[in-house]
Amino acid sequence: MTQKKKSIPEKSTRKDWYKLDLSAIVYPTLQRRDFSSVYRISVTLKEKINPDILQKAVDMTLKRFPTYKVAMRNGLFWRYLEPNNRPGPFVTPDIKNPCMPMPFKANNHYLIRIYYYEKRISFEAHHCLGDGTGGMCVLQTITATYLRLLGAAISNEYFVLDIDSEPSAEELEDAYMRYANAKVHPPRRCEKSYRIRGTKEPFYTLNIINGTLSASKTKEVAGKYGVTVTEYLNAVLLYALMQKQEQEWHLKPLPIKIAMPVNLRNFFPSITLRNFITMVYPCIDPRLGTYTFEEIITQVHNYMRYYINEKFLRGDITTNAATQRNSFIRVVPLFIKDFVVRKFYAAVQDRNSSAGLTNMGLCKVPEDMKPYIERFDIYMGQPFSKRTNCAIITFEDILTINFASSIIEADVERLFFRKLVQDGIPVKIASNRD
Amino acid sequence: MSYCVNCGVELEASHTSCPLCNTPVLNPKQLSLTQSVPPFPKEKGQVEVVKRKDLAILLSVVLLSTAITCGLLNLLVYNESLWSLVIIGACVVIWVFMIPLVIYTKLPIYVSILFDGIVLAIYLFMITGLTTNNSWYFHIAMPIIMLLTFLAECMALLLRKFRASFLFTATISFAELAILCTGIELFINMHLSGNAYLTWSAIVLTICIIIVITLITMLSKKRLRNAVRRRLHF
Repeated sequence: MTQKKKSIPEKSTRKDWYKLDLSAIVYPTLQRRDFSSVYRISVTLKEKINPDILQKAVDMTLKRFPTYKVAMRNGLFWRYLEPNNRPGPFVTPDIKNPCMPMPFKANNHYLIRIYYYEKRISFEAHHCLGDGTGGMCVLQTITATYLRLLGAAISNEYFVLDIDSEPSAEELEDAYMRYANAKVHPPRRCEKSYRIRGTKEPFYTLNIINGTLSASKTKEVAGKYGVTVTEYLNAVLLYALMQKQEQEWHLKPLPIKIAMPVNLRNFFPSITLRNFITMVYPCIDPRLGTYTFEEIITQVHNYMRYYINEKFLRGDITTNAATQRNSFIRVVPLFIKDFVVRKFYAAVQDRNSSAGLTNMGLCKVPEDMKPYIERFDIYMGQPFSKRTNCAIITFEDILTINFASSIIEADVERLFFRKLVQDGIPVKIASNRD
Repeated sequence: MSYCVNCGVELEASHTSCPLCNTPVLNPKQLSLTQSVPPFPKEKGQVEVVKRKDLAILLSVVLLSTAITCGLLNLLVYNESLWSLVIIGACVVIWVFMIPLVIYTKLPIYVSILFDGIVLAIYLFMITGLTTNNSWYFHIAMPIIMLLTFLAECMALLLRKFRASFLFTATISFAELAILCTGIELFINMHLSGNAYLTWSAIVLTICIIIVITLITMLSKKRLRNAVRRRLHF
């Protein structure tokens, strides 16, 4: 996200409380003892991390991000975020199981965590604060401040924001409401999709399988199929899921869908640091017959062309906003909303996809920061039900794919990476599994 | 640099087997190089336990003040009967029921069920102070509470001891329902007529026995159990 030139506002944009944005409303509702919607972004530097300097950098930086230095509060009708001035958040040594549940009242009520391990800084945030773009801004600004404290000269560019400036109103806004203005609410097709069968891991276990690829090689292979890298990796994941379903016994096969977040900032100008994404569901339907990989590629390519455009996305966010704008829904007490949303999510929304895939694309960093950085990683976090989530990010020529799952079997990951190897892309695997 | 012979992927130097297929890594040239830094730390994190101290204090204060004010009102104003015992007892019951939820969350479930049974028995005993005859308490209320507590303890033990699948939970629930209904009717009939006989609970017992036998058959036959799970999964 390029930082726009802006004059310092006369009146402070900081508030006593912040409404949850349209996406963020759902995440706290789904909170369970063993589940939180938490994602992680990591940056690996070229030198070992100094925790004291990192803590100083965090303290200096977080003041710039008022919507990340907050605590969750319950209102009568909606939840909201309140500035949190308790001590912290404190940087801590990294752990084996990233994205562990984040109870609202633990960790001094902070909804973010910062870890360090060898050369790596990891930033975890509850999804109700913002999406990957917002999180990347926080992480890169912390990293830039850290490097400056070590004597480097880093300019404020792209995701690195000026920590001495005041946040603009646009950074803190709920951008959905600005663009949710289509004249119709297009209906959504919800269909039960294939769910991976597997053995659930015990609490506090999140299996990570990390694949490191050459971005240029992946682009070259995707180019051979005539599609983008995102479309190609989506097709590979659909192919892996289709093979997995074929290996299992089913009365009849189910459609295979991938839940993929789309960054709306690419279609609607906004510099918000909060959530501004919507989901699309590229899919194949094995009930119609067995697909070849080429057919899946074509299906995904056409799906993306048809659905990912400004008109369709505007309609989609208008449909989302309709529920929040509905006068009746607004006056329903929070506990009833929680009950209904949780039931709906478990029965419909969660069953609407077989796996999650997000691609943050090429991660831009200021030119003078590049020499200090080795790679970026992103983790979608713990899935709500038994399945696997895949998160992709590219920095320079390093494309990293991180699968996060709470099941013991790694069949989908194996089929996914084997297909990449078969297509001639060298893959390096690392994992937190024993 | 080692590759998985099964998947064809390069593996991080610290891995002794492929994370994708568990194939062991046997690279004779790299036996001494496995001491590299692992990509992820070894220590597992644990979620900080949230203390519900505020809620516990609020709950205790509200219940205590309700009990005291009602007691005083009973003593000083409306003092024809000991009606405040019902409210004071209810406050105590709610407080004890809430102990494992907000006050002391580490309390073993068996102890907390036992406490619940005892406090319920004490509460009903307090109510006997408002009635002319307390034989209902010793012949009906007390045995039913004891039976209920026993069944709850059994349920907790069985669900914790064995894998709490949907079919197993249903089997125990129906078996306990049958015992509870039969017990309730037996205690009532013994108290009213002095004879132990069954009427309506015999129908419940019959239905529950059929269901329990069916469920046990399903549980004992793996093929049948899987077929039922497949068709009824939700």
